[in-house]
Amino acid sequence: MLFTLILFVVGGFGVICVQLFTLTIIEGERLQQMAMNQQTRANILGARRGVIYDRNMNPLAESATVWNICISPAELDQDRLQEVSVRLSEILEIEQSVILEAAERRHLFYWVIARGVDRTVVDEVLEFVTENQVRGVFTEQTTRRYYRYGRLASTVLGFTNADGDGAYGVEAYYNRILSGVPGRVVSTRDAKGADMPFMYSHLYAAQDGNSIVLTIDETVQHFLERNLETAVIEHGIRNRAAGIVMNIRTGEILAMATIPDFDPNDPFTLVDPRAVARLSEEEPGSDEYWETRRNLQFQQWRNKAITDPYEPGSTFKLITAAVALDNNLVSMHDHFMCTGAFTVSDTTFRCWQRRGHGNLSFLETMQSSCNPAYIMIGQRVGARLLYDYIEKFGLREPTGVDMPGEASGIGHSFANLNKEGRVELGSTSFGQSMTMTPLQLITATSATVNGGYLMRPFVGRQVLDPAGNVIQTTQPTVRRQVISAEASATMRVLAEAVVDDGSGRFAAVPGHSIGGKTGTSQDLVLGAEGGYILSFVGFAPMDDPQIAILVMLDNPRLDNVYGSVIAAPVVGAVFNEVLPYLGIQPRFTTEQLAQTEAIVPNIVGAGPHDAQARLRVAGLDSRLIGSGASIVRQVPPGGQRMPRGSTVILYTEEQVTPSEVPLPDVRGQSPHQANTELVGMGLNIELRGEVVDGAVSVVTDQLPPPGTYVSPGELIVLQIAIVDSDQS
Amino acid sequence: MTNNTAAKSGAHPQNAQGLKRRFSFFNTKAGGVDLTFLILVLLLLSIGLVMLFSASYPNALYYRGNSFVYISHQLVFAAIGVFGMLVISTVNYKVLGVGKIAWLIMLATIALLSLVFIFPPINNAQRWIHLPFFTMQPSEIAKFAIVILFAQMAVKNQNKMHTFRYGVLPFLPILGILGALIILQPHLSGTILVLGIGAVVMFIGGMGIKWLIMAIGGGVGAIAILLMIPGMLDHAMIRLQHWQDPFIDPRGAGFQTIQSMFAIGSGGLMGVGLGNSRQKFLYLPEPQNDFIFSIVTEELGFVGATLIIILFALLVWRGFVIGMRCKDRFGSLVAVGLTAQVGLQTVLNIMVVTNTIPNTGVSLPFFSYGGTSLVMLLCQMGVVLAISRNTVMEKA
Repeated sequence: MLFTLILFVVGGFGVICVQLFTLTIIEGERLQQMAMNQQTRANILGARRGVIYDRNMNPLAESATVWNICISPAELDQDRLQEVSVRLSEILEIEQSVILEAAERRHLFYWVIARGVDRTVVDEVLEFVTENQVRGVFTEQTTRRYYRYGRLASTVLGFTNADGDGAYGVEAYYNRILSGVPGRVVSTRDAKGADMPFMYSHLYAAQDGNSIVLTIDETVQHFLERNLETAVIEHGIRNRAAGIVMNIRTGEILAMATIPDFDPNDPFTLVDPRAVARLSEEEPGSDEYWETRRNLQFQQWRNKAITDPYEPGSTFKLITAAVALDNNLVSMHDHFMCTGAFTVSDTTFRCWQRRGHGNLSFLETMQSSCNPAYIMIGQRVGARLLYDYIEKFGLREPTGVDMPGEASGIGHSFANLNKEGRVELGSTSFGQSMTMTPLQLITATSATVNGGYLMRPFVGRQVLDPAGNVIQTTQPTVRRQVISAEASATMRVLAEAVVDDGSGRFAAVPGHSIGGKTGTSQDLVLGAEGGYILSFVGFAPMDDPQIAILVMLDNPRLDNVYGSVIAAPVVGAVFNEVLPYLGIQPRFTTEQLAQTEAIVPNIVGAGPHDAQARLRVAGLDSRLIGSGASIVRQVPPGGQRMPRGSTVILYTEEQVTPSEVPLPDVRGQSPHQANTELVGMGLNIELRGEVVDGAVSVVTDQLPPPGTYVSPGELIVLQIAIVDSDQS
Repeated sequence: MTNNTAAKSGAHPQNAQGLKRRFSFFNTKAGGVDLTFLILVLLLLSIGLVMLFSASYPNALYYRGNSFVYISHQLVFAAIGVFGMLVISTVNYKVLGVGKIAWLIMLATIALLSLVFIFPPINNAQRWIHLPFFTMQPSEIAKFAIVILFAQMAVKNQNKMHTFRYGVLPFLPILGILGALIILQPHLSGTILVLGIGAVVMFIGGMGIKWLIMAIGGGVGAIAILLMIPGMLDHAMIRLQHWQDPFIDPRGAGFQTIQSMFAIGSGGLMGVGLGNSRQKFLYLPEPQNDFIFSIVTEELGFVGATLIIILFALLVWRGFVIGMRCKDRFGSLVAVGLTAQVGLQTVLNIMVVTNTIPNTGVSLPFFSYGGTSLVMLLCQMGVVLAISRNTVMEKA
């Protein structure tokens, strides 16, 4: 009897011991972890995100400390909810309902009710919380991203999302380097959220993010963007314009832009008026509205230079020529006959010059961008070589640039290229029926003139630790040598000839040797509707190329469809600003130097780039005022003779009228003083009379006379004379 | 131990039979109390009080504004209880078996059990009688009353206990009335405890084991019948599910069980240290009551908890030894019955906190907060001590 009872007792005590063992030892760790999860609260200490600098250490993206206001619904005193929510909504300037809805989530300990508020607001919240002993309201330090230059380089930089992580562009690509490691204070709290006495509390310090120095030069970027913006207005670009300025030797991207872009400080607002107009077609608030808005946002964030492959058109002839030269399949002495059309099998390819170019030297085929000639050159090269070189030039793989979302174009397979009849070989030879991104194109064509080296383009130049020490530097990467140095030297001659006296002449900048190639292709998307993509890729200086610039205009208005006419002047305008800025000195020929005067052409009615290109060719500088699509007034007017290098002021908007100022009296001043004063007012001067080294000259007369109302751009003629030849 | 103390005290042999009250405290041979049992009781009580303070102060501070609310209350009742235990240990327990006393106690108990229904329910249960200065649970008294009465009845029917007519039938109405009154409160665990203790005394008193088996079978049958009541099955199934997996409703029905398991798991092998429990900080509801043992395990670990379980086991073993060695049958049955009550309650409590069985609401003897039940428990321990004075312990 008793034995049975003892059995029960031993059994009972045995069971509980076993069960205790199971819970404490076998499952202890898991249960302890779960217990710790509910017992500890981590307060996040935001890590400061690194700065993105341009190559001259101008901060393009930087972070400032801001605060999030959070509530812990589980810990909020429900009886005081009304009072607390009213006051908080006043301080934070948000709807009270936002707070009340958040407070409904009673099982939560963390809910952000306001993001990114600044110091004064935080202080007000904390004061209210402390004075009234409010439980369950706390603040959280975090950072907010500021882009000081607004839209500048936005498609390259990208932006950060609400959590402070990079969402696009360099911000996304280098997110792990930039973001650092957030710290946290872990402390034990009781179930009501108060600190437990004498309990575990540990601080993990935040580790600030590293900074990135880009290869982008803010000034060059500005030059490129301003010119692209002008081009977009000038030519009514319907599908955005893209541009790249690259160091031809290293692959460093000095500037990269897509216009219109967006403001990374406010990336969700649509910038492009076309996009805004498109959205206004939808019923606000409808599903279609949001869908359209989302698509348009994605569109404006796209960095067209790396994400949108297109048919390169005639710019590809540089590649075809390079392949032929590298394999000695063509020489400068070869000639080609263009009759205006060329038939391969049953397909007839027309030359853009309908009546035909006639007999062309190899150099002239490039200058006139003759399609039949390049089909012939392509046939000499053959499918095998062309196919292999397309691969060698990196046109079948992304360039490997350090930005997210890079695409790669597509082309014919070898079998297709080698197909009976060779129609595909023909079209590929002059840049059709295959696609590539602008970045792939500029990288590949650069390799044709830089000695043959295919570089890996890059934008991240250095990584700096939070103290500013350089901890990593990107070395230029030669992916491979594609063509020989000799072939490349010949390519430079060809490219220069295109600008000197060919389809690319509007890319010319007096004093600088520029080379390049135009390109026109049908938009594959619009296709039959007749959309065109116009591009120009240029290099300078041609004796020792340093800079490559590509501009691609997607779908301009249809009145003008040749790249030589509209893309080349944009590249020329950028070169005109970039080359002096980069310290590349102009070298004028004696002929150019001898020519001291220029006649101002009449350019009223021309597009801004067209006008500027024509002034450049005439030896004159220009300044554009306003943002209209064509020139409405020029100062001085056409026909006036001016010294070379004078600045013509171009107005593109009727409402902007020249400001008139009274002309000061500069008589008696030295020519240098007079020059400084008048040029500072935006006037042009011409000196008449003798200037002798070592002799002191003064202005003896001026025309117009002092007091005359003049506007910027007008020519002031100064008579000078030597006053004292003994002094020296 | 008994031998040592006996030698030290050097007391004269005393005859402990009859009502003579020679106070020879440390000599069992001479009718002194069983020192081992006394030490175990005091040890468990001391540890229990320390742990109660540790487990209860955050709750006391947060809800009552004073860390010492529970422990000070408990200390007063512990003092009263120890005094009562020592006094009762000197009284001849046999008075309980004389004449109608056991019956009177049982009638009083039934009266009190009926009385609870006039008091307002707490948490949907009417288990308490609220008096100006304290609150009592009559079911605590019922456990004592049934031991005394059944022991007396078993002694009376000593030779016929194996029969149904004498060994089972006379006990059934009492079991039925007590069971019904307590289950109506409702207080399932109280019912199980009272019926279980009754069964233990009947079994030890000589009831055939077949009746015990039949009783268990009857219990299962009764549960089956109860489940036939519409809605009862669903209710039971839900409770069973919550027991199987408390995480089904972690913020509701499963909450206390989960928090208890978190506490036990956090203890690990050696515990987080006395006083260092984190789960007692308002996570585990009412850590001073039924779930005090999870806090004990969190602070003292598997080792500490097992040592305390061993102390309980030793107490039960010692209580059974006292019962076995008692010179009279009534004393034997009472000692075993009262000790079994402590053992049964301990095992059920720890099974609940470790989620071995569903949460029924059994307190842990000597540890859980509750003044009247502690006094009641210590007084019963006093009865066991009184019985220990009438034993032949040299056989140990």
